[in-house]
Amino acid sequence: MDTSHHLLLLLMLLHYEAGFSHNCLKILPDSNSRIALEVGKNFTATCHLLEGSAHTSDDIEWTMRDIPIPKQFYHKINETAVSVTVNISSDMRGWLRCKAKESQPDCYIYGISLHPGYPPLKPTNLSCIAVQEGEDISPNLNCSWDSGSRNPLFDTTYNVFAYITILNKTYTGDCKQHHLDRYCVVNLERFPHHVRLKVWVEVKNVLGSERSEQLENYSEYFVKPNPPLNIQVLTEDNFSTSLMVTWEPPIQEYVLTLSYAIRYRKASSDVWVEVAESLTKGYTFRLQSLEPYTQYVVQIRCIGENHSGYWSNWSAGVTGHASEDKPASAPDLWRIIRSTSNNRNVTLVWKAPVKANGKILGYYLNICHDYVMIESRNITADNRLMYLMKLPPGKNASIELTAYNSVGASPKATLFIPRSGEDLPGVKNMSWSVRDEKLQVQWTSLPVGLRLSEYLLEWVTVPQLQAGWQRVSSKVHNTTLNGDLKKFQRYNISVYPIYKYQQAGRPVTRPAYVQQGIPEKGPNVTQTKSKKNSAELTWNEIPLERQRGFITNYTIFYAIGSTKQWKSVTVNPNVQSYLLMDLASETDYVVNIMASTVAGSVKGIDYNFKTLKYGDGEVEVIVVVVCLSFLFLTVFIIMFCLRKREVIKKLLWPQVPDPSDSSIAHWSPDFPIKADVPKEDVSMVEVDVFDGKSLCEEDKAELPLKKDKYLSEEHSSGIGGSSCTSSPRHSISDSDSGDSGQTSASTLQYSSVVAGAHKGQTPSHQPLAFARSESTQPLLDSEEHPEHLSESSGQSRSLYMRRGREPELGVLGQDSSGASLTFSPVQEEETPVAEDLPASALSYIPQQNSYRPQ
Amino acid sequence: MNCHVRNMVCLSQRSQAKFRIIILILILIAVELVHPTMPCKHENCSQVLHRSLKLTKSMAKRSAEILETYKTSQGDSADLICDMQMDNVPVSTISGQTMSERILSVYTHLKEFLPHMKTVMEQQKDLNPPTNLVVEGLHSMITHVHHIALRVNCILQILQPNIPIPEPAERPTGIPPAQNIFQQKAYGCIVLSRLQELLSQAVQEQKSLKGKLCRKRNKDQFLMN
Repeated sequence: MDTSHHLLLLLMLLHYEAGFSHNCLKILPDSNSRIALEVGKNFTATCHLLEGSAHTSDDIEWTMRDIPIPKQFYHKINETAVSVTVNISSDMRGWLRCKAKESQPDCYIYGISLHPGYPPLKPTNLSCIAVQEGEDISPNLNCSWDSGSRNPLFDTTYNVFAYITILNKTYTGDCKQHHLDRYCVVNLERFPHHVRLKVWVEVKNVLGSERSEQLENYSEYFVKPNPPLNIQVLTEDNFSTSLMVTWEPPIQEYVLTLSYAIRYRKASSDVWVEVAESLTKGYTFRLQSLEPYTQYVVQIRCIGENHSGYWSNWSAGVTGHASEDKPASAPDLWRIIRSTSNNRNVTLVWKAPVKANGKILGYYLNICHDYVMIESRNITADNRLMYLMKLPPGKNASIELTAYNSVGASPKATLFIPRSGEDLPGVKNMSWSVRDEKLQVQWTSLPVGLRLSEYLLEWVTVPQLQAGWQRVSSKVHNTTLNGDLKKFQRYNISVYPIYKYQQAGRPVTRPAYVQQGIPEKGPNVTQTKSKKNSAELTWNEIPLERQRGFITNYTIFYAIGSTKQWKSVTVNPNVQSYLLMDLASETDYVVNIMASTVAGSVKGIDYNFKTLKYGDGEVEVIVVVVCLSFLFLTVFIIMFCLRKREVIKKLLWPQVPDPSDSSIAHWSPDFPIKADVPKEDVSMVEVDVFDGKSLCEEDKAELPLKKDKYLSEEHSSGIGGSSCTSSPRHSISDSDSGDSGQTSASTLQYSSVVAGAHKGQTPSHQPLAFARSESTQPLLDSEEHPEHLSESSGQSRSLYMRRGREPELGVLGQDSSGASLTFSPVQEEETPVAEDLPASALSYIPQQNSYRPQ
Repeated sequence: MNCHVRNMVCLSQRSQAKFRIIILILILIAVELVHPTMPCKHENCSQVLHRSLKLTKSMAKRSAEILETYKTSQGDSADLICDMQMDNVPVSTISGQTMSERILSVYTHLKEFLPHMKTVMEQQKDLNPPTNLVVEGLHSMITHVHHIALRVNCILQILQPNIPIPEPAERPTGIPPAQNIFQQKAYGCIVLSRLQELLSQAVQEQKSLKGKLCRKRNKDQFLMN
């Protein structure tokens, strides 16, 4: 490189000396085109002041792309020449100029254009391929190589040369391609056979050239044939484990002798198995050790014999089907037991044999109870692979199952179900986890010596109860469930130890999810029991198929309806009711419940309720208090009345003077009141208005005990004294009237005439009697004026009698229906007067009241 | 004096050694020049024979195929016209007594057939579409027969390395240009038939060299060393 630069410099100098230029400055080396320079190398340029210039070398300045070059890179050669040396970098593409200070306008600057770059790299990994074309090999030799990743920054040409030694002739492929292209075709006119070829590639640019290593070999080593033709995969009826493969060569053997390779795979698999041996003789091959009744895909490729040249592409896959054989493995038999009160419902389920070796046509099922055959069935494969049976708790069962196809039957699958309560021990410490979206189950191995044959893992969808299972070795204590377990679906995972004779031990079951999600819907409040300051909420559990995960907790949100200021309470997932406390009375509340899983939460629908105004028992307390208050008030009033009865009596009934004490008239007991007294029985009724003791002293003595009775009879019997009037002792009051008069000075005794007695009584023993009033009150006007008696007494008596008669009607009616009315004559006489009752009845109100204490 | 004599002797010995070297170089140059083709030296004896035999075999089969294709393309009278006599076509008979002579005969005949094959190809181009199978096959055959001839030449070089191999004269086929179509068909069939016979015989001749050629070569080399 340096030599060429020096030569160029010399030429430029000669050119300059020859006087072809008229510039004041000149740079050497000089060129009409860009000066190619290798990146990383030093480059020296010299600026010369031409003859006649008024400047010296000190006036010279160098610039690279208009950027001054530091003085330390200058080298003063003499008074008219200054050189500069720069290290070429890839970004130095542009003008290198030298300039004389204050130079004349037409000759103060001169420049050369630099073009940095790299020389070509040596091509490596050259390979050339001649593909098959029809019945022959293409004369085009397709060559490729690795030219490196460095961009030479110059136009670079590649040429591929192919030399055929026996012809002593070289063919060239002029690629005319870009510097980074690495593919070229050499046309050999006609592809030579069995001759040696030498191939190499040459690369050139302005900075140099490189030549690759020679690729020398026989022409066959450059050939890539087509894949074999007409491949057939033939089933051999009597050989269920083999397939015959035939093919034809892609090219005449005399042109190119080929070796073949075969590979095959199951149609259901992506794993290829390549036949190890290299096949050169014939165009058939028998694939052996295949699985019966299995579809295989076969491909073949070829290469020049002795592995010369290139492998062809694999042929298109051809499918063949191995013939049937009898099943080589037993069906996988399992059971699902659901115990009832007095029986066990056993569902036998099974899977077809893994090595069915053909189309399974059906199954033979034998069932023994207590080692006695009770059932033998042939179940076609069209049905579901399950069978239902009942097994009493006190019996064991042995089940045998074989599958059969058109060739034969499989080995037996057996299962033993012991009597209830005779289960063998189960595993311990069973747990599960999720890994790569698969359920991984772990458990503690059972101790050695239990004649354990394997473990069975069962998964049952909840609540649909669809079961799947898999078996693992007894040496395994964790495994991944290989079933197609769905996300958000609850499974009950069980681990069964399987003992000898296929007897399952006690299962250990855990609920599990492959992936948990947010529940589909939140729980809804179904019921509330509102109280004054609390409310009990009840909600239903979310159905299992909608839970999509384990409920971690419920959160109850509640707020006063209008405020929406939510409060919340979190409860455990096993709680379905909750008592909200500290609520305001008679207030509308909104409540909803949020169910949470590890994946998230979802709220239920809002529910409204209203708290009550009164709490429990408040109403009752109020009623009781009011009643008690009333009672106490009543008692108080009564007590008050009793205590102040004299005062009250005086206030209500002013004292009437006793007529007997009057000095005007004298009572004559022998004087008949009226000459024409009717001869009917007349009973005298002594009515003491104010003193209860005046009547029926015995009854009064029994008053507390018979109060109710009296009260009940008050209306039914009319005047209570009716019973008393039946008593002869009370019918005539003269004997007691004195007592009455003695006990109470204020007693006002009126004489009453009782006409006759009850029909059942003996009127003969009751002589007519007159009740004499002992009152000290002055006589009424009628008494004082007997002349008016016939008029007024008749009226007053008749009124009195009428009051006495009304209840008597009832009494009499009850006692003796046939008896005539006691006061009927009087009544008959006084009947017209009775029409004036309202006017005179007021005079007898005190008499009526006199019965109340009774 | 002694010294002079000694010096003279020394000089004489030195000049003799130089002379021998020069002679040896000249001999080597002469040998190299005598060698008509350089390519043969890139392969050993067995490879040359093996490759030549394989190529000849494949071309023998190929020529049989082309002949069959040719006959098929000529119609029912193909067998008849192929049995015709035509003097200007080289015979396929291998002559010679020794191994070298017979191989040389093969080489010579192969060289002789090449112009006839080209003529047939040209005729077939005129008679049939230029891209027919016979033309294509002949085109390929010409190249490969040429390669076989070169291979056989290499064998000859092995058999008789010091004897220049006489090249057959590049002469015209001797077929009058004014052949009619029937004559062209007959000519083509005869050329292909005889070529196929020649290649078959060439295969046999080369097979006969197995176990002899390379052993002899090795023995010669051993003797030379």
